[in-house]
Amino acid sequence: MNAIEIRNLSKTFGSKQAVSGLNMTVPSGAIYGFIGENGSGKSTTEKALCGLLPFNSGSIKIYGKDYLDEDVRSSVGVLIESPGCFQNYSVWNNMKLQAANLGIANADAEIRKVLKLVRMEGAASNKFKNCSLGMKQRIGIAMALLGSPKLLVLDEPINGLDADGMRIMREVLTNLAENHGVTVLISSHILGELGKIATHYGIIRRGRMIKEMTAAELEDSCRTYVGLKTREMERAKALLACKYTRVEEENDEIRVYDAANPEEIVCCLYENGILVREIQTRKIGLEEYYMDLMKETEGK
Amino acid sequence: MCQSKELQFEKPSFRKRLKGMLGVDFYRLFHTPMFYIFVAIAAIIPAMILTMMGSGDSGTQMYTNTWQIIAAEQPLYAVSDMGEYANMNTVYIFGGIMVSIFIGHDYRSGYVKQLFTTHAKKRDYMMSKTIVCAFTMACMCLSYLAASIVAGFIAGTPFSVKVGSLLIAIVSKMILSLGWASLYTFLNVILRRYFGVAIAASFAIGTGLPLLAVGMIIGDSAGSYLNVFLYGASVYACLSSTFMTLIVCLAVSVAWALIYNILGSLILSKSDVY
Repeated sequence: MNAIEIRNLSKTFGSKQAVSGLNMTVPSGAIYGFIGENGSGKSTTEKALCGLLPFNSGSIKIYGKDYLDEDVRSSVGVLIESPGCFQNYSVWNNMKLQAANLGIANADAEIRKVLKLVRMEGAASNKFKNCSLGMKQRIGIAMALLGSPKLLVLDEPINGLDADGMRIMREVLTNLAENHGVTVLISSHILGELGKIATHYGIIRRGRMIKEMTAAELEDSCRTYVGLKTREMERAKALLACKYTRVEEENDEIRVYDAANPEEIVCCLYENGILVREIQTRKIGLEEYYMDLMKETEGK
Repeated sequence: MCQSKELQFEKPSFRKRLKGMLGVDFYRLFHTPMFYIFVAIAAIIPAMILTMMGSGDSGTQMYTNTWQIIAAEQPLYAVSDMGEYANMNTVYIFGGIMVSIFIGHDYRSGYVKQLFTTHAKKRDYMMSKTIVCAFTMACMCLSYLAASIVAGFIAGTPFSVKVGSLLIAIVSKMILSLGWASLYTFLNVILRRYFGVAIAASFAIGTGLPLLAVGMIIGDSAGSYLNVFLYGASVYACLSSTFMTLIVCLAVSVAWALIYNILGSLILSKSDVY
């Protein structure tokens, strides 16, 4: 069964079409990376999914049920942008209030458990307003985890986290998905981090889903390239462009896509009096794939 | 990836949902200075008015009886000066401001956003806010009553009254807190993005200005028609109240609470929450 099924979702704000006929399928147990530019409709889709925005048309199903069914809603943990906490209350009291709203019977034990999970047990007595941005995001995750949800919807949860915070978040989300069967829908601009944990991807542009795929499919579609550096970058690039179909200069290196053999490139350049300083065969990552896709769909 | 066993979902009952939400709202109410400030304001108003206007010679004395600060002798739908208006009904004005602050804080903190992502229904929210705010206004009525009695002793104004009518008037006004609280909750849900406007609107409506104008046009004789409205019923609860007053106030309060709760829930369910 799919955790989330969105069909033909459309939402307008006045005359602005924020989401247009969007389809999304998130399988159970997946960590679904939801990617898109600013204003592409990620947050609108997630807010609609969480019941915060009524939409114009389409349908949303969570575990096969209507997304607004209260039994389904109690199984969804949410962090949209920032946690909705009272600034003057302690972290613990904010958690208690959320636990009360969720009707959690053994609230104290549950709060301790989720705070420990996000490594925030030591900050329980801190006032929320005194917490750093990273701490607040982790508290937001802890709040979303209250009540052992089956689905987590996280909008930009790693924004503001330091390297350690990101590592903790990675571990927590991977553990939840792998060991507890929790499905995670996560949107983020930090594609490098997302690429480390996501099992599925959805790429949205101008309110439309332009690509949905698994991590394995992404791996297959990510082209390899040979990256090299010389003292004569311009001449080398021009020379290689005559021989190979796609040669680009990026990040102070020449990238030759779909080149079968790096030795062939070295020989070709050597024969023309160009010495190669560095050469390496690499595979493009999520970020490059995403940028490529954006270029391909530009103007479509 | 796909789980083999069927997922089980627990459907939270209405009682469980409302209990949780009321717990949160009452916790917040008692843990914020706002509640105590407004209860204190409700005590200060009659104390100030009665000690300033209740004493002196009979020519300048506005109140000849302490209980007039609680309710008018007769229903006065169109008041000619603020003195006639200045009774326990002022609790509804300050209560409106309190509701604006309480609900405004819900939205500004992001609590509402967090709440509506859970199983909470919009109608649960309306209901919980109405109950908590009605409770606060009822507390303000009691505070107003206690301060009036103390101020009456200090000012030396007489305490002569028909006890039954007085009790009915006080209980009726407390019951009307429910209707007023639902009105303010509704108003603040509509104006949730405009905190200042919400407070101004609550104040304007709390003073009964719209109905006061109608009362002045149609006069006191026909004013009883206004009893179907919250302001009219609040005026109707006076020192000559009968058992019928209690019934009217209860019916009006409950009816308007239902109307505003249904309307508020509908508006909330059709609008964006952020």
